[in-house]
Amino acid sequence: MLSSMAAAGSVKAALQVAEVLEAIVSCCVGPEGRQVLCTKPTGEVLLSRNGGRLLEALHLEHPIARMIVDCVSSHLKKTVDGAKTFIIFLCHLLRGLHAITDREKDPLMCENIQTHGRHWKNCSRWKFISQALLTFQTQILDGIMDQYLSRHFLSIFSSAKERTLCRSSLELLLEAYFCGRVGRNNHKFISQLMCDYFFKCMTCKSGIGVFELVDDHFVELNVGVTGLPVSDSRIIAGLVLQKDFSVYRPADGDMRMVIVTETIQPLFSTSGSEFILNSEAQFQTSQFWIMEKTKAIMKHLHSQNVKLLISSVKQPDLVSYYAGVNGISVVECLSSEEVSLIRRIIGLSPFVPPQAFSQCEIPNTALVKFCKPLILRSKRYVHLGLISTCAFIPHSIVLCGPVHGLIEQHEDALHGALKMLRQLFKDLDLNYMTQTNDQNGTSSLFIYKNSGESYQAPDPGNGSIQRPYQDTVAENKDAWKKTQTYLKVHSNLVIPDVELETYIPYSTPTLTPTDTFQTVETLTCLSLERNRLTDYYEPLLKNNSTAYSTRGNRIEISYENLQVTNITRKGSMLPVSCKLPNMGTSQSYLSSSMPAGCVLPVGGNFEILLHYYLLNYAKKCHQSEETMVSMIIANALLGIPKVLYKSKTGKYSFPHTYIRAVHALQTNQPLVSSQTGLESVMGKYQLLTSVLQCLTKILTIDMVITVKRHPQKVHNQDSEDEL
Amino acid sequence: MSRLEAKKPSLCKSEPLTTERVRTTLSVLKRIVTSCYGPSGRLKQLHNGFGGYVCTTSQSSALLSHLLVTHPILKILTASIQNHVSSFSDCGLFTAILCCNLIENVQRLGLTPTTVIRLNKHLLSLCISYLKSETCGCRIPVDFSSTQILLCLVRSILTSKPACMLTRKETEHVSALILRAFLLTIPENAEGHIILGKSLIVPLKGQRVIDSTVLPGILIEMSEVQLMRLLPIKKSTALKVALFCTTLSGDTSDTGEGTVVVSYGVSLENAVSDQLLNLGRQLISDHVDLVLCQKVIHPSLKQFLNMHRIIAIDRIGVTLMEPLTKMTGTQPIGSLGSICPNSYGSVKDVCTAKFGSKHFFHLIPNEATICSLLLCNRNDTAWDELKLTCQTALHVLQLTLKEPWALLGGGCTETHLAAYIRHKTHNDPESILKDDECTQTELQLIAEAFCSALESVVGSLEHDGGEILTDMKYGHLWSVHADSPCVANWPDLLSQCGCGLYNSQEELNWSFLRSTCRPFVPQSCFPHEAVVSASNLTLDCLTAKLSGLQVAVETANLILDLSYVIEDKN
Repeated sequence: MLSSMAAAGSVKAALQVAEVLEAIVSCCVGPEGRQVLCTKPTGEVLLSRNGGRLLEALHLEHPIARMIVDCVSSHLKKTVDGAKTFIIFLCHLLRGLHAITDREKDPLMCENIQTHGRHWKNCSRWKFISQALLTFQTQILDGIMDQYLSRHFLSIFSSAKERTLCRSSLELLLEAYFCGRVGRNNHKFISQLMCDYFFKCMTCKSGIGVFELVDDHFVELNVGVTGLPVSDSRIIAGLVLQKDFSVYRPADGDMRMVIVTETIQPLFSTSGSEFILNSEAQFQTSQFWIMEKTKAIMKHLHSQNVKLLISSVKQPDLVSYYAGVNGISVVECLSSEEVSLIRRIIGLSPFVPPQAFSQCEIPNTALVKFCKPLILRSKRYVHLGLISTCAFIPHSIVLCGPVHGLIEQHEDALHGALKMLRQLFKDLDLNYMTQTNDQNGTSSLFIYKNSGESYQAPDPGNGSIQRPYQDTVAENKDAWKKTQTYLKVHSNLVIPDVELETYIPYSTPTLTPTDTFQTVETLTCLSLERNRLTDYYEPLLKNNSTAYSTRGNRIEISYENLQVTNITRKGSMLPVSCKLPNMGTSQSYLSSSMPAGCVLPVGGNFEILLHYYLLNYAKKCHQSEETMVSMIIANALLGIPKVLYKSKTGKYSFPHTYIRAVHALQTNQPLVSSQTGLESVMGKYQLLTSVLQCLTKILTIDMVITVKRHPQKVHNQDSEDEL
Repeated sequence: MSRLEAKKPSLCKSEPLTTERVRTTLSVLKRIVTSCYGPSGRLKQLHNGFGGYVCTTSQSSALLSHLLVTHPILKILTASIQNHVSSFSDCGLFTAILCCNLIENVQRLGLTPTTVIRLNKHLLSLCISYLKSETCGCRIPVDFSSTQILLCLVRSILTSKPACMLTRKETEHVSALILRAFLLTIPENAEGHIILGKSLIVPLKGQRVIDSTVLPGILIEMSEVQLMRLLPIKKSTALKVALFCTTLSGDTSDTGEGTVVVSYGVSLENAVSDQLLNLGRQLISDHVDLVLCQKVIHPSLKQFLNMHRIIAIDRIGVTLMEPLTKMTGTQPIGSLGSICPNSYGSVKDVCTAKFGSKHFFHLIPNEATICSLLLCNRNDTAWDELKLTCQTALHVLQLTLKEPWALLGGGCTETHLAAYIRHKTHNDPESILKDDECTQTELQLIAEAFCSALESVVGSLEHDGGEILTDMKYGHLWSVHADSPCVANWPDLLSQCGCGLYNSQEELNWSFLRSTCRPFVPQSCFPHEAVVSASNLTLDCLTAKLSGLQVAVETANLILDLSYVIEDKN
């Protein structure tokens, strides 16, 4: 019974699923990618090249497929980009793993083991591999990034300190981004539009505040117009509200505006109160009073040069009438988002009609440059020239297109680009840390060496390099002390401290046994644990071997084991890493730093570089498992440029490009890319780690069991317990 | 929780354009639109099989809004044409046919979508820059000082909509009316930024088309009894108008979120009607002659006003409010209390009018840009079609005012453009290919597909089995009737080209449209006098056609670019 509902979770099954997904995403990846038409359940049509959106639109049923989609969406939560590459890379990794099993299957067959038994054997083997993958991701990848790849990095900023955005770099970055997101006949136009938009909106050179505001209020800042060619899209100075004036009075000169959030006309009774009418005269006088009061308020506004009234509620006829009489234009029924955007731009709080009247100035008014109707394709909009009090100079994007589905795609892509840029800026803080990371990455290697090879004195050449970093170490330590005074400072622990601090952005996930997506918040406890682990290096090592042999099946334990094995591996890895700084380039490399907002040219540069260095690394590896993992990853990485260069022929085909790149690397020449455009290294790096995590997740599952209960409750991890 | 259902998986299809189903549905749509095209286009009758409204039309806007398409690709196609039509009114069928042709032609070639899309885009920009350039040989300037070209433009639109069922004489009459209605909306003393007025179309079904007319001002429809009750005003000066947007029915207005408690014996109705009468007294003392109200006027107030010889008309409706505000120069009054003196407006005169069986109250403006176009046609469906056509024509005139150029119609622009592209891609391919990875052969193939798509649009003008030719000098279109006897000497049968600019007096060479001919430079030098003297040109709106061309190519590119269709089945 059970066997009919349970399917063996294997690499083969995962590969089949991933290949189907790959077939779909690979046709819309890269500059040659094509469009996919999605229909919504409502019948609307949407054009998309957004990998995350496509995977969601498929509503997949297969459990492994759903797990992969979950992994992609959690990756997208971290970095908004890379869903398509995720699938392709994962697929190639699985293919590589599958190829290994195929090779090794033949001897197994000869042994004539029962199929069931073989499955279990395979599973335990997969778990070894998944552990090796995790080790690679947490321990090796960072080193390779820091030591080798970083020298190829470019920066998006023209000056890293002031974070000044370089226009040409931003153009290249956006162009490469839109290449993968919008139709190929529009991507140049759209990326130019976006770039113009930023530089028109920014007051200062750095745009992080602007990006945040535009990202938060993106919906309010763009207007979609159907029925016009895409090339009619443009940027309009000022804010365009998707409303019409309910009263419009042309005005010029000194114009002021107020925002109201309630009706200006006083009402008979407010909520919770009671108004008792005793006579007809009372009713008439109160009506008269209301009228006179409204009139007086509007007159007062007029006397203060208020020419525009922006209201989040519908105002009564009386208010509109007196507004018109006093030459005040009225815009009503604004959404709360629109009101908050306006308030954010001009820093104005809502106007409250005063109870007692005085001729004093109304505090909550703001100057407006202009306010006029804007007609786009025979529909009227309100066009406001707000005077900004923040770093954002208000501009609106008018997006045109023949169909709504296309405009939606462009909107989606623009919003995605914004998030990507924000990410690039947000990573800046991390990057500043990685400046030391870069340096300490090497110093930590020495520490490994120290601990692994029983405090052997470093050779003189390295010692001289090490010294300046100990200065920075001391600095860091001071800062560190404030939060963690309980750390013992002795010769052995000082540098692990720093090593911890620097590795935290990367290595947090590995330190937590079950949850692979742990945040940095657990910093303190993690570092404690790490210290403990380092301190009790010997006992744990023992524990490892015993625990592993006896209780290899339980996941939590195995993860803990992994922790320890990581540390043991570090030791064994060291001789190799220690040689690296000695390879002639040590001096220049050490002085280089990973700048903020770093980027690489597009066209698979990142993948080819990492592939090259991984192969180099694998050659020097002593452990067969590590070599194997590195080789698999290195080869899988090439899958991405292969897809990108699929349609290219002759000199630009993939083999040619690859050989050229490898040759350039071997002879220390600069890489020449056939394509222009830049992409964020941070995004690529995060993609790589996400895929490796997803793969380890897949490999740890040995069986999938279908349970006929609430579908949302089916949890893959449960299946093992039920067995 | 228990109501949560797992979503059904979507249907995912690769290379949707290659499937038989998509091809057949596309060709069905193409057949529908091509058969409608042009003055001799066939009409389509749309009905739902259960009786009720029947629509007879050959216009894209009516056709596509009634058609129910289900395939996502067709949805994209029809949506983009509908969006084009709603922004430019004209050239919907042209766009639809061109788009279908492009998809069909390009698919036959089997080139990669990248190449196709890139080259299509180049060819499109070539067309656009040519049509916008000074050297363009298929557009003529529109002279607003004479009505001739404007009339040609309107007439071309009317004749291309056969479902209006107009005779030649009626066409002349209606085109003149449309032009008059348009000219009435242009303010007289306009400087710099002009704001056009509005022509309101008033329906009069069941009358002869010849009875249609244009009147300045606004017509308010009323029953005969109501009209009889209105007293004639004898006044030499302009009439003072008050326009209310708030209700005058005596409803107690919004009292807020709390409760209002009315003591026993207090009558709010009395209080409000007192208030209304006070308002009436103010109107009298302000010497108002005419009171218009968007909503309802209380009968007692109405009677009170009538007693004081003030005409009161209520239930005007929200659609007439804006034109009324514009025409009378009033400020819509939203108060029952004191009225500012500057919120009154004026009209020159009022009168009653009877057209057919309908009675109207006619407000005649002093000087305003609002006019009423009383449109008559024999039956409902023909009237609907005529109304759509009039709106199209008025819109086209507005667009022409913005961009004072017209394209030669009757298919001459398309053949001329095709000749130009053939010549350009043949003689100067380097300028088009510049830094691209496409080869010249690919360019030739795509250019041929593009040009033949343009020419097939023109080919669908002919529905009666006639032949279509093009001359080798101007690249214009010439057609031969099917029933003409087979003569060796073709030129004897050709009298005039499609747009009516050239006649066969000149020494011209002709070739059949779909036959291969060597590329030639289409000449553009037409004498200015010829344009002026030719009173019977067929013209197209430049703005609408340019956008139609762009939308057609963009949409075709979009559809050719599709690699998958994911249909959500939930």
